Amino acid sequence: MHPSPLVRELERRVGREAVLWRPEDLMLYEYDALSSRRAPDAVVFPTSTEHVVEIMRLANRERVPVVGRGAGTSLSGGPVVAEGGIVVSFARMKKILEIDIENQRARVQPGVVNLDLSLAVADAGYYYAPDPSSQKACTIGGNVAENSGGPHTLAYGVTSQHVLGLEVVLAGGEVIHTGASFWDRPGYDLTGFLVGSEGTLGLVTEITVRLMRRPEAVKTLLAIYNQVGDATRTVAMLTAHGITPAALEMMDGVTLRAVEAATGAGYPTDSAAVLLIEVEGLREAVDEQADIIEQVCRRNQAREVLRARTEEARARLWRGRKNAFGALGRISPSYYVQDGVIPRTRLPEMLDDIERVAQRYGLLIGNIFHAGDGNLHPLILFDSRDPAECERVVEAASEIIAKCAEMGGSITGEHGVGLEKNELMPLIFSPDDLEMMRRLKAAWNPDGLLNPGKVLPSGKMCGELRIQVSMGSGASTSAVNGRLPSRRRERVGSGGGLP
Amino acid sequence: MTTATQGAAAEMAAIVGESRVVTDPAARAGYAVDGETPQCVVYAPSAEQVAAVLRHAADRRLAVIPVRNLTKIGLGQRPRAYDVALSLKEMNQVWYYEPDDLTVSVEPGMKLGDFQHFLSRHNLWLPVDPPGGEKASIGGILAANASGPLRLRYGTARDFTIGMKIATTEGKIVKTGGRVVKNVAGYDLAKLLIGSCGTLGVIVEASFKLFPRPAQRLTFAVAVPALGQARDLRRRIQQSALEPLRILLLAGEAPRLLGPDSGSAGRERALQLWIEAGGSAAVVDRYARALDDLARRCGLTIERLDEEIAAPAWARLCDAPAALAPALPITATLKATLPIAATEEFVGRSEEEAGREGARVAVLAQVGVGVTRLVVLEAERNRLAGLVARLRGAASALGGALVVEQCPWEAKSEIDVWGPPGDDFEMMRKIKAAWDPSGVLSPGRFVGGL
Repeated sequence: MHPSPLVRELERRVGREAVLWRPEDLMLYEYDALSSRRAPDAVVFPTSTEHVVEIMRLANRERVPVVGRGAGTSLSGGPVVAEGGIVVSFARMKKILEIDIENQRARVQPGVVNLDLSLAVADAGYYYAPDPSSQKACTIGGNVAENSGGPHTLAYGVTSQHVLGLEVVLAGGEVIHTGASFWDRPGYDLTGFLVGSEGTLGLVTEITVRLMRRPEAVKTLLAIYNQVGDATRTVAMLTAHGITPAALEMMDGVTLRAVEAATGAGYPTDSAAVLLIEVEGLREAVDEQADIIEQVCRRNQAREVLRARTEEARARLWRGRKNAFGALGRISPSYYVQDGVIPRTRLPEMLDDIERVAQRYGLLIGNIFHAGDGNLHPLILFDSRDPAECERVVEAASEIIAKCAEMGGSITGEHGVGLEKNELMPLIFSPDDLEMMRRLKAAWNPDGLLNPGKVLPSGKMCGELRIQVSMGSGASTSAVNGRLPSRRRERVGSGGGLP
Repeated sequence: MTTATQGAAAEMAAIVGESRVVTDPAARAGYAVDGETPQCVVYAPSAEQVAAVLRHAADRRLAVIPVRNLTKIGLGQRPRAYDVALSLKEMNQVWYYEPDDLTVSVEPGMKLGDFQHFLSRHNLWLPVDPPGGEKASIGGILAANASGPLRLRYGTARDFTIGMKIATTEGKIVKTGGRVVKNVAGYDLAKLLIGSCGTLGVIVEASFKLFPRPAQRLTFAVAVPALGQARDLRRRIQQSALEPLRILLLAGEAPRLLGPDSGSAGRERALQLWIEAGGSAAVVDRYARALDDLARRCGLTIERLDEEIAAPAWARLCDAPAALAPALPITATLKATLPIAATEEFVGRSEEEAGREGARVAVLAQVGVGVTRLVVLEAERNRLAGLVARLRGAASALGGALVVEQCPWEAKSEIDVWGPPGDDFEMMRKIKAAWDPSGVLSPGRFVGGL
């Protein structure tokens, strides 16, 4: 087998050791943590902005799509190749270029792992606030593309609130610098617009982020409930009381039992739901807030409210939450994690609704919520070898997301639209809204070479709006499920819906 | 007035009603922007009518500047053209309010003071203290991305705006975001509109996440003999566990003109550092102890201000040009943004540079975030351009930028109020073209003549 002319040209521009092209190598780049569609034509590993410029110019000349990729932990198909082309992996652009504690900022390459930045500034008493569950693996470049969240974004905001400036390679290969190392640079806020644009407007090659000082005190509580409704009512009441914890997470009984079996975090397996609540800040504030939170929990029939007394106990409680997806994977051959948002006051109603959906479709659904900001992650458990069940999963998930939209919520709170939900965009956006997005995209990405098939609807759908990712392995044209059995814990799609 | 615009005024009247189009010269003069008087003032009562007015203006190539209370109308270059002042005064309703969810949707013409009053029923607020104060409108705050010292704790409109509806020059109403506090569906158009100074579209509704008001607030003032000490104290506060609501350094003429009335002659000559803390009684008490300790380590003495003195004093400080204007001729207001650690040095440089151009400046530096506002007093008009150039040079040498927020329009022919655009300007131009293809919204006022 010989490399294609495109591969040879890539090798010439960025070096032989920086290009993958053999089918067995490319296969590893077919999917993210959600799904797969098809293999790219080549994977290239730039080590500099100049390399990215070279790649972009070549892609332009050859008219091939370019898809940026961090660690591939996306849950919406962001880095999944929809139409072939070149995957630009930022795995080798992983330098922390500058740490500037006096100015509370850092400059990083896109391949820097999220947690590594926090670790690098920990000694100075600082951290980088957005903390997606995948933070041990996911990259800051990926976080910028998806505008990632995490449990602690409840108090501190998602990625866009922590990015000051970007270096971006545009579709035509030009390099621009948006924002600055200070706030309010005159002009349109291109940085804010680019964060969350899912790789469809440019390739980010450098990121200036804001660092935050570690709080003096942290208190972590676990409130245990016999009724799910009592837990969701607690969330609504805490919000109404104006208490904004640093994190406010909910897990239901299905999730708890799986998590406990996998991690031994100390969660009660006989309860219907728990709230994991963390407050941070000044010692005095944290003490008072923890007391108020405990009272509100008890007023809503919490059976027990535990406080982590040691750092070890706190870490154990969080270990359960951060590994919850994986834990559910242990009790089911496959799972599908959804990401919707609703007004927080409607959590009780929404949970009942999810339960009804589960019963109607005969599916087991575990619920893990960033409850404090109304961001739901229902996990639908299923067996991808059962085509009929796969069909029901898609139906159930589509119904849940439609319900979020109907309640005045959103179809995604932090995972992104990607190729999972682009056809669902009309649930919350009018044709005029989408037309403006399309026009702005065309201004940045005129030939559609940057991450095609993402974010915006294809315009080819008619009638019912539903999630477009295929669940099953049965009718699959891809061999990923069979060859990589370990991936079975994550839901792996098949690309069956595409030519 | 030309026949064409008379015709246009009549057509505008067909959209919004006869009584909502004003062509009276005195009324129009009140809406002059940088010496340009519009041909008519149109009061649009609804989002649909704003859209219809914009579409009509685009069809007829009539230049439109959206306005409300004119608190920030001085921001920008002279308009290339100005036919219609589109007033959003009548759009001042709260459309949606869910206090238990801490979310709200409001029209752009609502004044900040009225909005805060409305929210105070549930002990909530929008934590923003922009120039213009209570008179600033929601739409104006968003369009100018206006903020004040509270951004230290709460950020700016960029951080708490969760959705928007925008009327476009094609007569459409485009939605972005929503009414939930976390949302990554689609491109975030609100980010583009915030700070776009009315050049892309007209914000006809904005949704915010709200915050509970701090149970108690306490203001501290410290007289600081030298900038080095001010910097030392600011660094110690920043490196401590404290998270004040706002910190403001008063320098130049600011302590004398804007400090508390009770000040002694000696303190007036010093710099002042103002710090406000918020929270429960126990938290505020902790601030009192901790700040006292930090100040003593810098050789300084901290003083608590009574809330009756502090609250109006903060209002004056946040809207300094308006507070000073009745008594003094204000020549210009400038805003420098810098990396945090460079702020105090810039404050020192700005006083020197002002002195060189024979001007006096009141300096209000948000030292925790790197934003410095300079109110230029008693500068000779013909030396203003030189002063701006010197100060911009100083800001840029320290890694920052400088914007002229307000100055005599006659001076704008020789002053670039925004400063030079960067290598991302071409993309800004494309964004402008995507929103406003016929170029009728606030033409020429923004960065690089957009």
